[in-house]
Amino acid sequence: MMLAALALVAIVTQDSAALRAAPRESAQQQAVLWQGDSLEVRGEKMDYLQVYDHRRERGGYIRASQVRTQSLEPKDAPDLLAVVRFLRDTPGAEALGISYAAAYLKAAPAEAIGPEPFDALGTMADRLARRASVKRGKTDDTVLSAHLEVASSYGIGMQGFERDGRIQLCYNGEAFRRVLAMKSTDEQRARAALALTRPECVDPNITPTDRNNLDTWRAEILDRVQLTELPEYEKNRLRLRRASVWASIAFEHARQHQPAQEAANRALQELAGVNPEDIAEPDASAYTDAAVRVAASRWAAETEPATGSGLAVISTPGESGETCVALTDAKHDQKNPLAKRCTYGLVWKASASVNAQQTALALAVQPLDSWRELWVFHQGEKGWIVDILPPAANTPDVGYLEFAGWVPGSAKMLAVREARVDGRFKRSFEVIRMDTMDVEKQADNPRSLSLFYRWQDPAWKRGTLSMRR
Amino acid sequence: MSERLESLLQGLLALLTTTISAIGAALASLGRTARRAWVLLLAIALIGGSGYALFTHPPFKTLEPGEVGIRTNKLTGSATEIKEGLVVVIPGLHELRRYSLLDQVYRPVRSSKANGEAPFQSIEGLSLGVDLTIRYTIDPTRLAAIAQKLPTDINGEIVEPMVQGVIYKSFTRYSVRDIFSTKRGEIQKEIENELKPKLAADGIILRGVQMGQVDLPPEYRQGMEKLLAEELESEKMKYTLELKSKQVQQTELEAEADKVKREKSAEAAGNEQIIAAKAQEEAMKHVLPFKQKQIEQRQYEAEAEKVSRIKTAEGSAEARRIEASGEADSRHKLADVEAYRLETIGKVTSAQLERDGALISKNPLLIQKTMADKLSDKISVIIAPPPANGGFIGSALLGGAQTGSAQGQQASATAPQETQQ
Repeated sequence: MMLAALALVAIVTQDSAALRAAPRESAQQQAVLWQGDSLEVRGEKMDYLQVYDHRRERGGYIRASQVRTQSLEPKDAPDLLAVVRFLRDTPGAEALGISYAAAYLKAAPAEAIGPEPFDALGTMADRLARRASVKRGKTDDTVLSAHLEVASSYGIGMQGFERDGRIQLCYNGEAFRRVLAMKSTDEQRARAALALTRPECVDPNITPTDRNNLDTWRAEILDRVQLTELPEYEKNRLRLRRASVWASIAFEHARQHQPAQEAANRALQELAGVNPEDIAEPDASAYTDAAVRVAASRWAAETEPATGSGLAVISTPGESGETCVALTDAKHDQKNPLAKRCTYGLVWKASASVNAQQTALALAVQPLDSWRELWVFHQGEKGWIVDILPPAANTPDVGYLEFAGWVPGSAKMLAVREARVDGRFKRSFEVIRMDTMDVEKQADNPRSLSLFYRWQDPAWKRGTLSMRR
Repeated sequence: MSERLESLLQGLLALLTTTISAIGAALASLGRTARRAWVLLLAIALIGGSGYALFTHPPFKTLEPGEVGIRTNKLTGSATEIKEGLVVVIPGLHELRRYSLLDQVYRPVRSSKANGEAPFQSIEGLSLGVDLTIRYTIDPTRLAAIAQKLPTDINGEIVEPMVQGVIYKSFTRYSVRDIFSTKRGEIQKEIENELKPKLAADGIILRGVQMGQVDLPPEYRQGMEKLLAEELESEKMKYTLELKSKQVQQTELEAEADKVKREKSAEAAGNEQIIAAKAQEEAMKHVLPFKQKQIEQRQYEAEAEKVSRIKTAEGSAEARRIEASGEADSRHKLADVEAYRLETIGKVTSAQLERDGALISKNPLLIQKTMADKLSDKISVIIAPPPANGGFIGSALLGGAQTGSAQGQQASATAPQETQQ
């Protein structure tokens, strides 16, 4: 809007540039300008330009060396685009880059504008948001907030969510939406889709219905990108994102009593399509995150087995949204179960595993889309009891605890645990004592535990995602 | 039926009787007047004539379905009602009249057009034609009684005059508009009500009066049509308004349904949120005991660490104490040894001094020699005035001399300065 009225603008290229009342270094300072600020050029005096700052609604003088004067004629558009290309991948120069991109969009004729400036605009805005969300020293604070304000003056919208006690800033993705709507290259589309579907930019306080709609939209956006022409590491990024999105969709479908098998299979396929050799270093954490999310809801892909005459679980609806699990055997039916417990989570009956003595049963229950618990029904001194093992002793976040086998002749079981604790993923293969539910032994690798290596369940080994490379 | 058969038998019997009696009479007469041939010929002619007459005018008639016949005996004047089927009608003796019991229709054609021969007049005096249809039938129950009185042309002689008399009168009481559109039914009813008793009096039942097309005078028709069109518009508007009102109602209902749907959906979404929150809370609840356990374990660990540290500190203190005690003992021993050593040394020194004293007393110059020996490696030159008394040169330095202490002091103050130089 501001640029519309101008044919010649001065773009501030340095941070903390002073707008002075007179063309002298000693003159009073009217405002502090930051890189990317646009000023209307009204005259020139000595080494100073007489300018007017429309954003702050004040005029003054600025040293000519601190600004670049740009003409907004169509013939100058390629020059502006060249600067945008240069600044696109320059960290710290996002505000300046956004300013040049805006100037290009103003100068270039409408028919000449392709997806490239929008891609650059989105990339810079996204990087600025990420820069603002990570912990930095205090010296950067002033500059960062000023850059955010400059970006905001060009219509770059930011959304903020509270996550782990601090605000996470996210770009609203308007430029990327334009890239997707235009005839863009696969790489541009991939960048746009990845930026629009960032998991950390999903509002944690969103309602389940909205979350479902959002995930469906995210899956659709990710499916719009053709993978064939992309480099392998980019393909992996998209597959990882798709896998985690489809895992969430599978959980949501199962929660709404809709068929979830297709979505869960899709998540598994996408994860299986990832080539671990070609994962870029910054994506290693995303790979683990996606794998844990898919593993948490992997039982949605399995069909429910028919219950036999031995130890089995039967689920019945309890109160609204509640599922009650009853443990039955040949002598105890659903009305007189051995044990019963109700939950608001999803009960994966396909995961039920009974030991050879018929004295214990392990069951996977998933209360959140990325958090799966292990329920262990076992015979105690006073009858059957159920113990619930969460993946980690922190706030439910991303993680799963999976049954991996029974140790014959002893009250021990094998389990694998993978969860994010304090921002880091930890995976451990454990031998658990069933009487106390304490971890007797644990290791990073199943080969390191002889009990684990010897007695692991073949069915678990066939389906688990914890043995990935 | 039996009545009809009886009548048929009677007729046949009468015919047979008549024929036999005639033949018998002829034969008797033949027998009596056999000789008279002309009589015979006459008889033959008579029989032939009768046969011909019977052939040409058979004594039977057939009544069609829906017809009823009244047979009148000309001799007796009695009338018999006969239903459909075969009926004996002896020519000369009987006369049969047929009446149809089916519905008859009368249409006054002359008054069906506004510009026809005899149009109707409305209350305004305008000519108009109405296509009327009067449906009637003869009352079968009264037919036998009134058959004698009924004219041959019932339609033309009874129905038409009566209808004319009623309908003209009726139409003059209404306006063209009433006749044309609004009061058709009423007019029809009125005509029926008036006509019915009149026709009934003549044994005719009026089935109904139907009013068909109304032919208006052309000018009036135009005006009327315009008016009607306006009325139609007004009616249309009425219906349009009704439709609009219904549409409004429908929109209201739809909005209501939508509202309910949204409410339900919001409720469902709310429920989902509650369930999700409960699931999260439940998951947290499951975590808490482990967290508690973790904290307890850490406490135990801390306790154990504390105990271990205390024990270590105690051990360390004890060790130090033992060490200190050992050290003290050791020092004590060392001190004893030192004391013994010092004592021994003292004794040795005393003995040495004693020996030295004895030696010096014996040789006094030994002191000077010793001093000179001791100073020899530190002082290379000593500039000092020779003692006036011709004594030892170093006595002024030693201060040991009894005399001239001030001089001695001065010399000692100067000497180091010299030596330093």
